[in-house]
Amino acid sequence: MTGENAAVIQVNGLSKWYGSVVAVNDVSLEIYPGITGILGPNGAGKTTLLHMIAGLAAPSEGEIKVLGQAVRGNPQLYRRIGIMSEHDALYPFMTGRDFVALAARLQGIESGEAVDRAVEDVGLTEAKDRRIGGYSRGMRQRIRLAATIVHDPEVLVLDEPLNGADPRQRIHFGELVQEYAAAGKTVLISSHILEEVESLAGQILLMVSGKLAASGDYRTIREKLDERPFKVRVSASKEREMASALLSSGLVTQVSLEDGAIDVLTKNISGFQAAVARLAQETGSRLYRVEPLDDSLESVFTYVVQG
Amino acid sequence: MSGALLAVALRQAASPGRLALILLLGLLPLVVAAILRATGNDDDLIEAVLDPLVIALFLPIAVLTVATTAFGNEVEDRTLGLLTTKPAPRAYIVLVKLGATLAITAPMVVVLAVIVTVMGDAGDPARAALAAAIGAALGVLAYAAIFIWAGLITSRALGFGLAYVLIWEALMTSLIDGARFLSVRSYTKSIMQGLDDGTFDVFARDPIGLTVAVIGVAIVSVAFTFLTVRRLSNMDVP
Repeated sequence: MTGENAAVIQVNGLSKWYGSVVAVNDVSLEIYPGITGILGPNGAGKTTLLHMIAGLAAPSEGEIKVLGQAVRGNPQLYRRIGIMSEHDALYPFMTGRDFVALAARLQGIESGEAVDRAVEDVGLTEAKDRRIGGYSRGMRQRIRLAATIVHDPEVLVLDEPLNGADPRQRIHFGELVQEYAAAGKTVLISSHILEEVESLAGQILLMVSGKLAASGDYRTIREKLDERPFKVRVSASKEREMASALLSSGLVTQVSLEDGAIDVLTKNISGFQAAVARLAQETGSRLYRVEPLDDSLESVFTYVVQG
Repeated sequence: MSGALLAVALRQAASPGRLALILLLGLLPLVVAAILRATGNDDDLIEAVLDPLVIALFLPIAVLTVATTAFGNEVEDRTLGLLTTKPAPRAYIVLVKLGATLAITAPMVVVLAVIVTVMGDAGDPARAALAAAIGAALGVLAYAAIFIWAGLITSRALGFGLAYVLIWEALMTSLIDGARFLSVRSYTKSIMQGLDDGTFDVFARDPIGLTVAVIGVAIVSVAFTFLTVRRLSNMDVP
């Protein structure tokens, strides 16, 4: 990633706001050939970021280059890019094959061979002459993917492509994008579920609240997170006894009493979660509430890991 | 490429319900014209039917119903991104949408205008029919350009269009002297009257002239098409 190859997608100081709402906040990144996953909870700004990379939305600030060129106002660049939005956008009155053929013609491809190959690639050959209106959610996703890859693009931008896909389709999808990556192409996939991209993406970009919170491979990100403590608030009766028990347990690194509640820092969140009820019982304390106070990377990552 | 995109645009715009509504509205002038003719009042068809029911009512409403969906539906069902992420110039996409709107609405409006005209007491029916057809077709073009733009800039394009037709075209042009120079309805009538003064002499009461009317249609059509292309190029596609 740090070699001589130029980044295929370059994002520099990118921000997007709608009135007072900041959707993407000063994001800079570089994406190279291979599969990159953008990960983050719903509302993290993934779709807005992908929309800007796809040229569908104008940045409020910053710049984007794909294959060395600006995307906005440059329709010819779409000959080299395939974009699949998260929306279930289709023409239900068309057959699957006609839908892919339309995408091909709009790309200047008149050959039916490319259309049939794309339909076959997504495993919809048998259903290609049925109207899209009668397709299942997974089939609609696949026919949209076929329309996205029909012109054999160098860059694929896929927003939540596995929505509605069953396990078999996920495997098939994985094989397809891995073939793309093996051919030296660039695939950018967004998801709010780690396991969807974990097995595919060489690189993961983690977005939280419109910011790029971390980047690297899955293991690197996981290690970084594990090194940082979680902040948790515990509300219980007999808070002093409970605080003392928590500190003695060795599971927390810091305890403080705030407004009748106990705020703790722990590097062992799973051990803490397993022990807190037992400690309450041992101290004769009634446990009212346990809540994470950290709305940052850690809690988001926990959310993502738990899907 | 054009055929495929045009076919989709036609299919989206020409929903059965929408077409039925337009055809039903088109029956109104025909019925009124038939009644007037049956009662021997066919001298008044141009003034009593063609102007208020075809040019002022059916023409803008028919075009409004179809044109506002050209992009409005694409924005609503989020299929606009399918078109704007293809290597097709924005102007090309807009012209295809305009072509589809014209292909659906112009035949209906032109046929209705011609039928009502020849049902009246036209001195030279062939010339009158040609004048009615050209005037109606150019009126459709100008309205289509305006309403396609409206469909892209607002989700309330139907309301916008109705307000434009009822407030500007019907009310303001009768209250403000000179407003007819900025009225598609006036352009349509002036073109008909300029091409056949004998049949459409009642339209000569507020003349703006054939040349001015044709230039007006050209300016409105080009200007609003340009605005639509610019909007499509600059907007955030949902």
